[in-house]
Amino acid sequence: MPWYKQAYDWVERRVQLEGFVKESAEHPVPSKTASWWYVFGSASFVLLLLQIVTGILLALVYVPSAGSAWSSLQVLNHQLPLGWFLRGMHGWGSNFMVAVVLIHMCQVFLFGAYKFPRELTWILGVFLLLMTLGMAFTGQVLRFDQDAYWGLGIGASIMSRVPFIGRQLVEFMLGGPIIAGATLSRFFTLHVFVIPATMLAFASLHVWLVLKLGINEWPTPGRLVKRETYIQEYNELTHKDGVPFFSGAIWKDAMFSAGIVLAVAVCALLLGPIGPTGVPDPTIVQTVPKPDFFFLWIYSALAFLPPSIETPVMLIAPVIGIIVMLVLPFVAGLGEKSWYRRPVAVLLVVVLAAGFATLTHLGTYVPWSPQMDGWSADPVPVHFVDQTKPLERQGAIVFQQKQCRNCHQMGGLGGRRGPSLDDVATRLTEDQLVRQVTQGGGNMPAYGKTLSPAQVTALVAFLETLHPSNQPVAIDASRHVAETNNPAPKEPVEAIRP
Amino acid sequence: MRAGVFAFAVSCALLASGCNSLPGKPAPGPEVPRPESILSPQVLFAQNCSGCHGTEGQHGPATPLASPVYQALVDDATLRRVISRGLPGSMMPAFAQSAGGELTDAQVDSIVRGIRAKWNKGDALKVANLPPYADDGKGDAKAGEQVYANNCANCHGPAGGKIGEAGSVLNPDFMTLMAPQTFRTTVIVGRPDLGMPDWRDQMDSPMTAQQVSDVVAFLMAQKPNAPAGRTQAPQATQGAAHQRALQPRISGGAR
Ligand code: HEC
Ligand code: HEC
Ligand code: HEC
Repeated sequence: MPWYKQAYDWVERRVQLEGFVKESAEHPVPSKTASWWYVFGSASFVLLLLQIVTGILLALVYVPSAGSAWSSLQVLNHQLPLGWFLRGMHGWGSNFMVAVVLIHMCQVFLFGAYKFPRELTWILGVFLLLMTLGMAFTGQVLRFDQDAYWGLGIGASIMSRVPFIGRQLVEFMLGGPIIAGATLSRFFTLHVFVIPATMLAFASLHVWLVLKLGINEWPTPGRLVKRETYIQEYNELTHKDGVPFFSGAIWKDAMFSAGIVLAVAVCALLLGPIGPTGVPDPTIVQTVPKPDFFFLWIYSALAFLPPSIETPVMLIAPVIGIIVMLVLPFVAGLGEKSWYRRPVAVLLVVVLAAGFATLTHLGTYVPWSPQMDGWSADPVPVHFVDQTKPLERQGAIVFQQKQCRNCHQMGGLGGRRGPSLDDVATRLTEDQLVRQVTQGGGNMPAYGKTLSPAQVTALVAFLETLHPSNQPVAIDASRHVAETNNPAPKEPVEAIRP
Repeated sequence: MRAGVFAFAVSCALLASGCNSLPGKPAPGPEVPRPESILSPQVLFAQNCSGCHGTEGQHGPATPLASPVYQALVDDATLRRVISRGLPGSMMPAFAQSAGGELTDAQVDSIVRGIRAKWNKGDALKVANLPPYADDGKGDAKAGEQVYANNCANCHGPAGGKIGEAGSVLNPDFMTLMAPQTFRTTVIVGRPDLGMPDWRDQMDSPMTAQQVSDVVAFLMAQKPNAPAGRTQAPQATQGAAHQRALQPRISGGAR
């Protein structure tokens, strides 16, 4: 007997795992479930392992202190060979993991896999989802850049609205009244010890349950889940029409996981590490911090909510969402599994997915956040300048200098908080323009007090030139009538002081 | 999983074998530099000036800084002063931190050097009787009225008459917004980007320094509320940061 076989036997005689592993590997799974639909769970697990490996490597260099965190990422990005690639893998791995976990969850939901007897598997899964998001959030804080400040700011502002104990919660989260070194230590501990350890435990139990209870069979319309008969039916199914997990089903999982890891690597190679953006310094105001993409929807959702219901929605909606997910297998744990017979479930997934996708998309260009340097950086489009008269050009300067540009686009440049003004003259008459500028309204500040009369005149004269050359300017019909009854001098004349 | 490790290993090997130009590799320097560490004149101009002066220093609503005549007209000290403190009486903001703006003195210097290096074509124009940048206060409004009629009216319209094709420059609101220096700069430099000739390219002969001062004195006398005999009380220019403070902050979800 070769030495390694001897060594193996020596160990095996003591730990006695071979039988168990063999059994698990060869346990029969329903043949139809060896499908591409069933690969997301294993891919999530592989991504978790990838995150652990890359995370440990990062922790070798990362310094979890407020003063050095940001610069230690600079070291990784610029000084250590392939340090940037490692950061890229970890960052993109996180993005992929959130996405794959969500897809896994949708698939499980649509396939009715959370039903009897797999309720606990689902509940563990819900916690795993929350922890995945928790990892993503705490991870972005560890970058300790301006975006991290943003994330913490939003988190703190949500916490602070909890009635009675809001202040205490914020201090608990930040480790003090403000974002400081203690905050970073707190999030480092969470990100590196607490959440990963819990996650590994939960994930192992989750997998254990999958092994013990078997992979959910392919849902067939009309085959109902009944508490009394389900387990027996499932066993019959796997024995009649089953394939061994190992080599029957596993190669698809392996292929898919490999593909995902490859995709993470390609993203890391081509798109590079995520951040760090600027140093976190509250005195730097020329920034538009952005959260990582999976939190963008929160940003959009908060911005669109009317302020009066913001607090209740922000505090109650997530709690309700989590409770609904947790009780789902108990209220809908039996009966039909097939999506053909569960239109409400399908509709729910479609609506939620579309909702999140839309909010995320809106979040990618933060239309509600003014572009802080629009006024001095974005040129007035040349074709507008070239056709203006002196007064109108001063109006264009008012437009820039009063930072209207930070909220309004012209020629595709500028903030997007207000509408683009390229053709505003076709929409609004002179009077309406004056009113809009001096009185504001609809999320636009009133400028009546900060503009001199001459500035208002010049500004409105400029705004009136903003129209495509082939479209007429909007004219107030009543004013036209007033003027024909009471004709003004035909030609405007050069003013001159007597 | 094994295939994943394999793919990972392959890509690492590929990387290590010298592909140093992968698009994902961060460029040297921090991704987002501190604002005060930006010293490239191009970047500074694009971030701070192109909004009003145009991307290429022309075809913007404010003074065409790229004009070689303008470059011959001003000196470095004037540029530095205007950029730091603003141009009194105009909407040109003050950019120096000491005046409420956001640029360090080093950044202002860098902008001045960048403007000079890019657009200054040397002093060739100085010889050709270039009037001085600053007004000597000896302009005569009465004489200026005549200069206006001769040199400006054909494009901008005669005083008290029909407005010319190049638009009114005597409009009271326009006058209120214009700084005396901007009139002077415009008369000397013209708006080469918009088709207004400079002081040389006139109907009969180039304008003299005295004529320039006269026409500016005439124009300033038309300013609403201009005290007779004096041009205009410079009004303090506000700093860029002050401008920013005027605007209500909207902070998205973090309201
Ligand atoms: C804080 C961002 C913000 C700033 C700064 C701002 N606006 Fe607005 N503006 C808006 C919003 C939002 C609307 C849309 C109002 C509504 O829906 O009624 C708007 C609407 C307008 C409209 C009407 C457009 C239309 O098509 O109906 C005009 C004109 C306008 N703004 C001009 C200006 C001018 C001129 C300034 C500078 C003096 C300015 N805005 C500054 C946000 C802003
Ligand atoms: C908010 C608009 C605005 C911005 C931004 C701006 N300027 Fe100006 N600038 C003006 C105005 C207005 C004038 C006065 C001339 C006029 O009214 O056209 C002026 C005048 C000047 C002058 C003096 C012209 C003269 O007559 O001697 C200089 C030099 C100048 N700007 C440089 C700059 C530089 C450099 C920057 C960038 C750091 C800058 N400006 C940014 C609006 C602006
Ligand atoms: C050949 C025609 C022509 C003549 C002569 C002329 N201008 Fe102009 N002027 C223009 C044009 C063209 C513009 C820019 C486009 C516009 O405003 O329509 C302009 C613009 C101006 C401006 C505004 C500059 C700015 O930056 O917005 C002033 C002030 C001005 N001219 C003053 C004068 C004065 C004073 C004279 C006489 C010394 C004069 N112009 C002579 C054609 C002329």
